Amino acid sequence: MYEFSEIGWLKHVIFHPVEGFEDLRWKKRGSLKFSVVIIFMLFFSMLAEYRLQGFQYNTHYTKIFNVVPLILRSVIFYITWCVGNWSICTLFDGEGTFKNICIYTSYALVPFIVFSFVSTFLSNILILDEAVWIEFFNWLGFGWSLILMVQAMRAVHQYSFGKTLVSMLATVGAMFILLFLLVLVLLLFQQVYNFIYTVYMEIQYRIMG
Amino acid sequence: MKIKALISVVFAVVFIFSSSVNAFASEPYNPYSYDKWGDPIPSQSGYKVDRVVDGKQMGFDEFCDPKSKLFISLEESDSLNGAKDMFYLKGLEQLWIADSGNNRIICLDTKTNKVIGVYHSDGILNFSSPNGVFAKYDSENDITHLYVADYNNSRVCKCEVMDYKTLKSIKNYTKPNSELYNSKVFNPEKVLVDGADNVYTVVGSVTTGACVFSSDGEFMGFYGANRVEPSFKVVAQKFWRKIATQKALDTMQRSVPVEYKNFDIDKDGFIYTVTEAANTSTDAVKKVNAAGNNIWDNVYINRVTFGDYNQSSMDISSNVKLSTKLTDIDISDDQYINLLDYQTGRVFQYNQDCELIFIFGAKSESSNQKGSFKAPNALESVDEDIYILDGAKNDITIYTKTVFGKYVHSAVKLYEDGKYTESAEIWQEVVKRDGGYNLAYVGLGKACVYNGEYKQAMKYFKISQSRKNYDKAYEYYREQWLSEHFGIISAAIIILILLLILNAVIKNLGINLKGSIVRFFKNHKKS
Repeated sequence: MYEFSEIGWLKHVIFHPVEGFEDLRWKKRGSLKFSVVIIFMLFFSMLAEYRLQGFQYNTHYTKIFNVVPLILRSVIFYITWCVGNWSICTLFDGEGTFKNICIYTSYALVPFIVFSFVSTFLSNILILDEAVWIEFFNWLGFGWSLILMVQAMRAVHQYSFGKTLVSMLATVGAMFILLFLLVLVLLLFQQVYNFIYTVYMEIQYRIMG
Repeated sequence: MKIKALISVVFAVVFIFSSSVNAFASEPYNPYSYDKWGDPIPSQSGYKVDRVVDGKQMGFDEFCDPKSKLFISLEESDSLNGAKDMFYLKGLEQLWIADSGNNRIICLDTKTNKVIGVYHSDGILNFSSPNGVFAKYDSENDITHLYVADYNNSRVCKCEVMDYKTLKSIKNYTKPNSELYNSKVFNPEKVLVDGADNVYTVVGSVTTGACVFSSDGEFMGFYGANRVEPSFKVVAQKFWRKIATQKALDTMQRSVPVEYKNFDIDKDGFIYTVTEAANTSTDAVKKVNAAGNNIWDNVYINRVTFGDYNQSSMDISSNVKLSTKLTDIDISDDQYINLLDYQTGRVFQYNQDCELIFIFGAKSESSNQKGSFKAPNALESVDEDIYILDGAKNDITIYTKTVFGKYVHSAVKLYEDGKYTESAEIWQEVVKRDGGYNLAYVGLGKACVYNGEYKQAMKYFKISQSRKNYDKAYEYYREQWLSEHFGIISAAIIILILLLILNAVIKNLGINLKGSIVRFFKNHKKS
């Protein structure tokens, strides 16, 4: 039983939100390569929404294109989520390894990515009066992924339902702290760089006269 | 020696000619416009300086010339002095100027820009710093009534114009004896009169709106007050007011709206107000109906920023921070709304949908470049031209439309009348001259929609970034596409259904089609 290929396992967890992740864990399956691909697809779905959305729906400032916010919203948020979740849950008896957290999180994101592509495609066909369809697909993808995410976190750490929710909220808090620290570290390094550069300039002036 | 001189002469001549070729009459301002994102983009100038007239050119020296019929006295000033307001009387082609610093009212003939009347303190009607002027021509009785906001005398005078020098006082509108009017002073700044001869006057530092008097001088109330801008301070105050005691309430400052500075009435009787206070976003410009309500008070129009988008900008030449101060408003005959920004000396022209048409004019403190202003106090549209009164340079600048301006105006006119096809040709001319003129693409797109060229319309709407129009054009385009390809689409659907049925039938019959094909090939290979 449950002898699937990797893509079969992905299908299985998406269409079996109640038991899928438990099965995945029990069989010790899930591929890190796949999750990397999924996160890239997440980035591309955001990119597609930014650039390929139908003109009547696209309210982005399209005069300039900046890829950094998109990377932040996809890859950086994903990594901070994984790191935050791992650091919270290792303290609270979570059984998930960092690798498993990364894999399960990305698997849970698949419906969101797929429906994001779907609504981007539909926005090229539908007029503004029919925006309810796009909204419907967006919410469908979001809701589905949310349910999967709760299940994934529950399965990976072997938590009760309530504990999962609390740990997820705590993870969001941890993400904020992580990002704050990241910004702080960046600023500090900038200061250090500035200091070193100033010293270098000073020395240069002295030597050069 | 002779050759040397000859060469130098040749060089000099060449130099002179080449420089005179290069020197072209440029406008004193950099024409620009705003795109849909609110970013300034360079544009073509819609108005150019036609001429600048000062007191001498208007013939003010007649005031000191004993031989002239306009002679007043030998000491009379022969220039304007801090003039504050202008009014154009359409039927008679007269421009009335409130020459505040000289305490007189001047009447110009706009065809010749020569003075045809001067109304000075004559013992009976002593104007003291008249700040506002309004005239009304009664064609039945052939009488011109002049209304003057006499600032220092705390009154609005209604006079009958007898001839080029004399006025007959008819009525004075003075400080209202009403409980509603709780200001200590009454300093009327601007005045206008509606169709029923009601007198509206903007009174300095009265924030409750313009004072309205009936034609027989009775105070009727206030008109069209601004709302309080919901700043953080105001919201916080509202909260504290809820919980404060009566004693604390008494000491609290009341949050009052800023008063509007100026107004104008259009031919349909709507009154447009403009607020001068810097950086106002609430009720900066209003269109007020007879009941005193702002008819632009809806979500769409309130999103329009009048004047510059970036409301405080640095002026590079003088290194001063400029913040928008809209000081005067004027509605032209074609219903364009002209706003005058005192700080930057720019005139912003909008159509009735509050779409920006042109920005022109400039301010310069240092240079006296023709067409730039030092203290632009008033603007008035005189037929096709726009007159701008400068209170520091004491002259009137007359801006007239360029070819581009004429094209845009005629296209807008046709466009607003719904003649999209006719307007499209002119919009094409506009686009030839300024490829960034947004409204042109909207007009072209609408013409295309009107003619059923939806694909092209979508292209134009995409350029002009108008999402709503694009959506409409796309809806029609999709409908057209579907009806054109109805045959293919329906055929595809029928074939798909047939295939599904076939698949189901084959499955029901228990035939494994794929398996049997594979088997067939295997057997074939073997044999």
